[in-house]
Amino acid sequence: MGSVSGMLKTLASGSKHLAIKRFTLRYPEQKLRFVGDGYQFDPKEGVGIAGYRGRHILYHDKCTGCQLCSIACEGIAEAISMVKVDKQYKQNKKGIMPQIDYGKCVFCGLCVDACPFYALFMTDDYELAAYTKEHLIYTPDQLAVKPKYQGTYEIKVDELGAYHDE
Amino acid sequence: MSGMGSAEGIPGFQIEGKGEDGMDRGILTLSVGPQHPGSGHFRLVVKVDGDIIVEALPDPGYVHRGEEKMCEYRNYIQNIPHLERPMIADSCGILYPYVLAVEEIANIPVPERAKYIRVMMAEINRCIFELYWLGIYGIFLGHSTMFMWPMADRELLIDLAEMASGARVTHAYFVPGGVRNDIPDAFPEKARRHLLYFRNRLKEYRDIFYDNPLFQARTVGVGVLSREDAINLGATGPVLRASGVDHDIRKVEPYDVYDELDFDVVTMKEGDSFARAYVPWLEMYESVEIALQALEKMPSGPVRTKLGPNPKGAVGEAFKRVEAARGELAYYLVSDGNPRPYRVKLSVPSFREIPVMAHLLRGAKLADMPSIYWSMNYWPVEADR
Repeated sequence: MGSVSGMLKTLASGSKHLAIKRFTLRYPEQKLRFVGDGYQFDPKEGVGIAGYRGRHILYHDKCTGCQLCSIACEGIAEAISMVKVDKQYKQNKKGIMPQIDYGKCVFCGLCVDACPFYALFMTDDYELAAYTKEHLIYTPDQLAVKPKYQGTYEIKVDELGAYHDE
Repeated sequence: MSGMGSAEGIPGFQIEGKGEDGMDRGILTLSVGPQHPGSGHFRLVVKVDGDIIVEALPDPGYVHRGEEKMCEYRNYIQNIPHLERPMIADSCGILYPYVLAVEEIANIPVPERAKYIRVMMAEINRCIFELYWLGIYGIFLGHSTMFMWPMADRELLIDLAEMASGARVTHAYFVPGGVRNDIPDAFPEKARRHLLYFRNRLKEYRDIFYDNPLFQARTVGVGVLSREDAINLGATGPVLRASGVDHDIRKVEPYDVYDELDFDVVTMKEGDSFARAYVPWLEMYESVEIALQALEKMPSGPVRTKLGPNPKGAVGEAFKRVEAARGELAYYLVSDGNPRPYRVKLSVPSFREIPVMAHLLRGAKLADMPSIYWSMNYWPVEADR
């Protein structure tokens, strides 16, 4: 192909995009919506339920302090340590629950696969930035809080190209 | 050149050799890397005579992490997250042979639906990787648009991977016995929409990048690898196929359900940097085709064989290889009956491109180095493991 015609073709292909919608997602004003309520696992079936793998949620009324999540994490990120909780639960005689260090967690979700009591799941929340390393360590009480993440945008595809919209 | 004697004391900057007239011939030894923005964590010791590279000595090993040894201290499930770290852009590709090898050694059956999901995810991941690589290749040849377009279109496929697996990169989605979770109900429709749009977008890459005279000037006829050399030096993947060798593990040794899907192996005869950049682009069409076919043929049913928390392997060994985005990726796994593997050996495509790279850079111009280096599809972290 000749130099000039090749250049013109290149320019023409690029300038077509002046009329196409912009693809960029304007985070944090716009946030992506995820499918489901975060990654969950059904130990009876032995299979997971699709969802985003963000920060964990811990159900205090179900956690027995069996440490299986902590054992699963041992060879992976060593992010989970078992700590004492103040309140007494009848299914949790030892009174210990997982505390997760998000400075170490790799969000693989294998701790969720290890939990046999439906006590540890994951949520949509990925906005975990903190000012200090200590703030990245989530205690069992912090993990019990349901996150407020509300994403509404998703990728739309039509004749105008691909773009993010509600 | 004798006026540059003051630089002789600097490591990595040596002038050696005398010409016939007693003057310095001026062969410079330059270290490209390990912190060079164009090479990754990898050093190339390059000897140049003027503008021509006399010799290039690759020096890998800066990001060696001992993945193989780490495997011996973790059980079969715990190995999954760290084994995809060497190549996070193609995490399904690098995990695939490990999962196949564990299934063989522990004799785990795989549900039919899981096989289709795995093939589909592997192909989506192949496109994610190729786009990432194409973007970097574009920016290193000074083409900013070719950096932004693939990165944006990659988002469409990452969105699919995230919807299925829950993570944008490092999916940790494949497990021995299937996949972690079934794809959501809304997935097939969205996947079809995104993949078809992506296939249309690929045509525009040709207009702006491959047909661009500036890109062609820097790649056509640069770093030509002959068919014989490609075979003798052990090249693999798109590098091998760009030199005209019709070799693809998906066809040669089909794993999972590749033998039930209809696709072509892309080859080109030229063997230059342009062909090595063009073959992955053609392969993305095939990948989209495979992913769409897998979606179509996917049966319903379970996606994961229920295992104990700590599956044990039988005494024995397994060798499995797959066609990852960069070429043939193989795992050799030995088990002594414990929940942990006795030995895991990774054979990665990037490592096998090192001799090819040294061969191609010899005699090339220094300015052609980025074009040859990036066309090799070489990833230091994967090569060092």
